[in-house]
Amino acid sequence: MTISLAIDTATSRTIVGIIEGDKVLFEEFHEGATEHGFAITELVIKALEICPKPDQVVVGMGPGPFTGLRVGISVAQAFALAREIPVIGVCSLDAISIDQSEYTVAIDARRKEIYWARYKGGVRVSGPAVSKPSEVDNFIIDQYPNLQKLVELSTLQSVTQPMYLRRPDAVPTAERT
Amino acid sequence: MSAPIVLGIETSCDETAIGIVRGRKLLANVIASSVEEHARFGGVVPEIASRAHLEAMLPSIDKAVRDAGISLKDIDAVAVTAGPGLVGALLVGVASASGLALGLGKPLYGVNHLAAHISVDYLTHDLPTDPTIALLVSGGHSSLLQVDDITSTITKLGATMDDAAGEAFDKIARVMGLGFPGGPAIDITAQSGSPTAIDFPRGLTTSNDWATRPYDFSFSGLKTAVARYLESTPNYAKADVAASFQESIVDVLLQKSLAACKATGIDSLVIAGGVAANSRLRYLAEQRCEKAGVRLRIPSPALCTDNGAMVAALGSLMVAAGRKPGPQAFDADSGLQVERVAL
Repeated sequence: MTISLAIDTATSRTIVGIIEGDKVLFEEFHEGATEHGFAITELVIKALEICPKPDQVVVGMGPGPFTGLRVGISVAQAFALAREIPVIGVCSLDAISIDQSEYTVAIDARRKEIYWARYKGGVRVSGPAVSKPSEVDNFIIDQYPNLQKLVELSTLQSVTQPMYLRRPDAVPTAERT
Repeated sequence: MSAPIVLGIETSCDETAIGIVRGRKLLANVIASSVEEHARFGGVVPEIASRAHLEAMLPSIDKAVRDAGISLKDIDAVAVTAGPGLVGALLVGVASASGLALGLGKPLYGVNHLAAHISVDYLTHDLPTDPTIALLVSGGHSSLLQVDDITSTITKLGATMDDAAGEAFDKIARVMGLGFPGGPAIDITAQSGSPTAIDFPRGLTTSNDWATRPYDFSFSGLKTAVARYLESTPNYAKADVAASFQESIVDVLLQKSLAACKATGIDSLVIAGGVAANSRLRYLAEQRCEKAGVRLRIPSPALCTDNGAMVAALGSLMVAAGRKPGPQAFDADSGLQVERVAL
């Protein structure tokens, strides 16, 4: 059975785990929207104590606040490069597990907006997108990506670019008024 | 046993840079710059830089390893710029370095960007170099430092009170329509001008300044003076303005550096940072240091601007000095003080 080092930093949590099939060998998170940089190394060290040689890395590619999101992706891809093992990207919203047939999940996108996606029968039917909360109906926001689901989805998808969904705010000098 | 191989990662601003050294020998120096993406904004946009770092990271590591003719497994230690710099940009480097070090099972050194700029000189010139006075001038920093031991003991003698020298170059180049980055643009424009054509002010050089803050710099007054001159002189000669402005900056930098050498009795000066690539600074520094009996060392222009070799160099010097790596888990520190050579 493939053993995965799973990482997600799309939310205020830095979440790291070791997943083998339907078994969660290790899972721990650190809460702190600006603490991913410090937390991730500590958590990966702990994970490697449980399983020193994972077969692959699975990482949440967002959407999520940019700076924290990049921390998880950076660690995941550099670790995989060093170990010569595959790294697979998955949409972080897809990994939020909700026990309903139809639902919308959301992640804080800062600036009074949310990243969200809508699911029906386990399939994403809308999103991921970034919107004002008032523009999205009945979303669930206090849930976090589930690493087991993240790993499960890695057999179905492979997201290669961070899901920023927003362009950097900057105005070219020529367009400034 | 051959000297340890250290891979250095630098992402404090807009350059994704990977360097590899074996001892003091440079094996690879790969730089992917996002400067062209920033040019139309007239300065570095942090989010654009951070995105570019993540995109360029793996290809750059890959290329550096190939250039060095080694395999990743041959690396004995990883070093990374922990600060100062743009926090989002730094974090991509720190997290990548951490992932690499954990993957390889090798130690990780979080080092100071400013100390790294000075240490790159150790790759190109003969040891020993400590103690030395160091003038560090770039787009983000202008400091005068006393380096007693590059791996542990650096004292700040003075720094800019407003703009960094490179920042002043950028701003004046923008006003004159010379483009971004301003340093090379002004350097080139100044080649055909006269440095004595216009008598621009020398910041913080009154007798009172020499008595109270001899090693601090200020470039905002100069900037205003140049802007006023441009406004009041419709058909100004670009080359003369560029040359005279550049002269004012270079003159003050060297006056204060040599004053520091004299006061401390240290007859060695290292000039580092992006502005150290300026041809006028290099020329005048050579002349004045020779006259003052000060041994001058300036890294080659390619190693003056931000690069990964300097980070690898500092990491390598730390390994050679027997310094233990700091904590394995650490955060980027955008305001890291120069006195903290490593975490």
